[in-house]
Amino acid sequence: MTQPLIIENITAHYGTTKVLENLSLSVAEGELVSLLGASGCGKTTTLRLVAGFLQPTSGTITLGPKNLTRLAAHQRDIGLVFQNYALFPHLTVRENVAFGLKQRKFGGTERLKRASAMLDRVGLAHLADRLPGELSGGQKQRVALARALVIEPPLLMFDEPLSNLDAKLRVDMRVEIRQLQRANGTTALYVTHDQEEAFSISDRVAIMHQGRIMQLDTPEVLYQKPANAFVANFVGFENLLALSVTARDGALVTAQTGDGALMTLSQDQLGAIPDRFLLATRADGLQVTTDPAAPGLTATLGLRTYLGRAYQYQAKAGALALVANGPLSQPLDQGAVVTLTPNPEQCAILAPE
Amino acid sequence: MKRLAGWMLATPATLMIALLLVLPVAATIGMTFGAPGAGTWGVAQPYADFFTSGFRRRVLWRTFEVAGWVTVISLAGGLVTAYVVSRCPPRVKSILIVLAVFPLLTGVVVRSFAWLVLLGRQGMVNNVLQWSGVTDAPVAMLYTQGAVIVAMVYIFVPLMVLVLVGVLENIPEDLLQASSSLGAGPVASFLQVTLPLAVPGLIVGAVLVFTASFTSYATPHLLGGTRQMMMGTLLHQQAMVAFDWPGAAVVAAIMLVVIVATVLLMTRLARRMNPMTT
Amino acid sequence: MSTRIHPVLIFFTVLIYIFLLGPLVIIFGAALSDTTYLTFPPQGLTLRWFENIWNISAFRRTIVTSLQMAFLGTFIALIIGIPAAYALNRHRVTLPASLSTLFVLPILVPEIVIGFSLLRSVTVEAGVPVWYALLIGHTLLVLPYVIRVVSASLASFDFSIEEAAISLGSPPAKTFFTIVLPNIRSGMIAAFILSFITSINDVSISLFLTGPGISTLPIQLLAHMEQFFDPTIASVSVVLMLLTILVMVIVERTLGLAIVAK
Repeated sequence: MTQPLIIENITAHYGTTKVLENLSLSVAEGELVSLLGASGCGKTTTLRLVAGFLQPTSGTITLGPKNLTRLAAHQRDIGLVFQNYALFPHLTVRENVAFGLKQRKFGGTERLKRASAMLDRVGLAHLADRLPGELSGGQKQRVALARALVIEPPLLMFDEPLSNLDAKLRVDMRVEIRQLQRANGTTALYVTHDQEEAFSISDRVAIMHQGRIMQLDTPEVLYQKPANAFVANFVGFENLLALSVTARDGALVTAQTGDGALMTLSQDQLGAIPDRFLLATRADGLQVTTDPAAPGLTATLGLRTYLGRAYQYQAKAGALALVANGPLSQPLDQGAVVTLTPNPEQCAILAPE
Repeated sequence: MKRLAGWMLATPATLMIALLLVLPVAATIGMTFGAPGAGTWGVAQPYADFFTSGFRRRVLWRTFEVAGWVTVISLAGGLVTAYVVSRCPPRVKSILIVLAVFPLLTGVVVRSFAWLVLLGRQGMVNNVLQWSGVTDAPVAMLYTQGAVIVAMVYIFVPLMVLVLVGVLENIPEDLLQASSSLGAGPVASFLQVTLPLAVPGLIVGAVLVFTASFTSYATPHLLGGTRQMMMGTLLHQQAMVAFDWPGAAVVAAIMLVVIVATVLLMTRLARRMNPMTT
Repeated sequence: MSTRIHPVLIFFTVLIYIFLLGPLVIIFGAALSDTTYLTFPPQGLTLRWFENIWNISAFRRTIVTSLQMAFLGTFIALIIGIPAAYALNRHRVTLPASLSTLFVLPILVPEIVIGFSLLRSVTVEAGVPVWYALLIGHTLLVLPYVIRVVSASLASFDFSIEEAAISLGSPPAKTFFTIVLPNIRSGMIAAFILSFITSINDVSISLFLTGPGISTLPIQLLAHMEQFFDPTIASVSVVLMLLTILVMVIVERTLGLAIVAK
């Protein structure tokens, strides 16, 4: 039933503007892959290409044994959940869910049976005769989900399905979507701009930028070991330091910033360090200490803000602007001279730009 | 204070419409109820005169007939055209809309006149018919009901196209994509999604065309003459040629009733059938 | 949309457009014909029928009257219609809903009924001179368009801008002119153009309100057609169409034609 999706070397244009360049992506059977990125990064374009609402300039899209590339949208057999739900306003909830079955020439009683069973599964059996206009946002989202699932598609696609819901409902719904998708074992492609949503729901996430995939990996790897500066920045590494190695002593490496400030790093903890590299850390990964002998960068603290779990400081090390978190037990004032020590567990070594 | 400001700003327009429209039209309607005791039918005598006259009854019926045909034909032609226009690429679409707006901005007299030229004994339609050997002698096409209907369809199709393009464009693209993602082909999508959602708009377009053709003057005057008199031309004839003002007022009153009834009934129907508002 | 349209539908649409535009092309041709009767295709080419427009004094006079009615009627309708539209949008809570129904009446009531009623009440009973009665008719004709188009444009106007201006010390009346009006400019221009074209093409109201020596161009055209069937009518029609094209070009340049399509 369920099938792997393979997108190979897709290039797409809107008019003369190239929006996707040579994009390849595969989603294994039963896997949920998210496309994550800011608006205009090409994630929705990718989804629309797979759905058949857009035609690629070149490349192929296959779903299991079926080549979708030149197939009309209504022949692709993909369950699609829209951002605005796209429920038919003139049909009842049950008729909405049965719509796809009707196109597949199911008989009236069979349609009714399957639609009702599906509405039961999403907990909306009692609303079956309502019109979509009478439903709340969360209920509409469930109907949209039921409508896409009832046709038992080999591939499910979600186009920012939760962006019109409030924060609490968003969390509930994403759990529900994940459970339904798992239970059916359906291959799924999920488009969102919300990082938390993508990371929480997906087996793998593709971070996209300007029509290309910057990194495709599990949420854990993306979060801890971004592969490049863009992804590091995207997943919240506030500090990017350009460093070059001045001395190596076994596993220990001494590197200096553009200003000539020196710091010592351990290859045992960070992996191999090239001669020129970027050190990426989160604010949490830069420890603030008043001990002048500690290894790290000497910096002057600026504005302090309260985060609840820690204090955050805007800090200056020479010409470098950095963000670091310090313990609640020891609030430091503006102008204090401190040492910022990178915590190796929260650092990543990246190739220079 | 605020309340007063609102009223002050609205007063000139309110006064203008109340004094120069509502009052005169009410006076016209009042006139149809004549003097009490006049004639065998009392106050309703002018209406009795209207409905006992076979000629006037025929005019009323003809007006319904012509307006009905014009509405149906414009609806059919307009829907197909609007469907194609709304699915064209943006550049082509805007050109097609401009081409539909242009006749709409050209006066009714000019557009009716075009058909006077086309349908005359020496007109192009007759020339083509004779040249192709369909007929030997010129066919009399002017001053027939067909001529009036053709010219009126000509006048109202652009309006219908513009209204329906608006209606079709208001149907969210998402719904059609949802429909095709669920396996509906173009025909199924049109019948099961587009058409049901367009019905309220179709009603609005139909009402616009029906009321406008029911009350039109220039086209029936030029292409129907006295032989194909309609309510508009009858009103003018009664008032300005026969100087029978109560008679003209009755025609005005009947037109008003038909129009108001049509608009009220149909807008209510359209509202009930509109799923978007619930 | 990238979906293909069925060729039969395209063919049908092309036919409709030929039907819509063909007759207008024929008028162009007929206006150039060097014959004393109307014919198409034209036989010989001449511009003398265009000169003839200006030589016939009735046309000359009615063109002037039509322009007067269109400009003045639209102008008056704007002056009383804009405040009304503003009141309807800004003071919606304090004004009765029936008021907006009242403003729709001139569209609901058939023009020909309005014309006849004005003839009886205004011209005959009140004895208002023909020229003024005609102006009243044209103002009534275009007033609902002004109110509707300006209202539509005010409906998308963010009134908090006005409040911001007032909170910054601008008096309300001045705010209306410096903040509100500039922001609904395109609506006002659209209202003007729509009104002007409606007025200049009107038949049904003017029909009853013209009098000895005072008539509008469409009425004069109807009268002329009853007596003569020469290409002058076609040439007048061509001039009117050229004017329409000019207006459309101006609209396209300033606002985009989407506004008229609404």
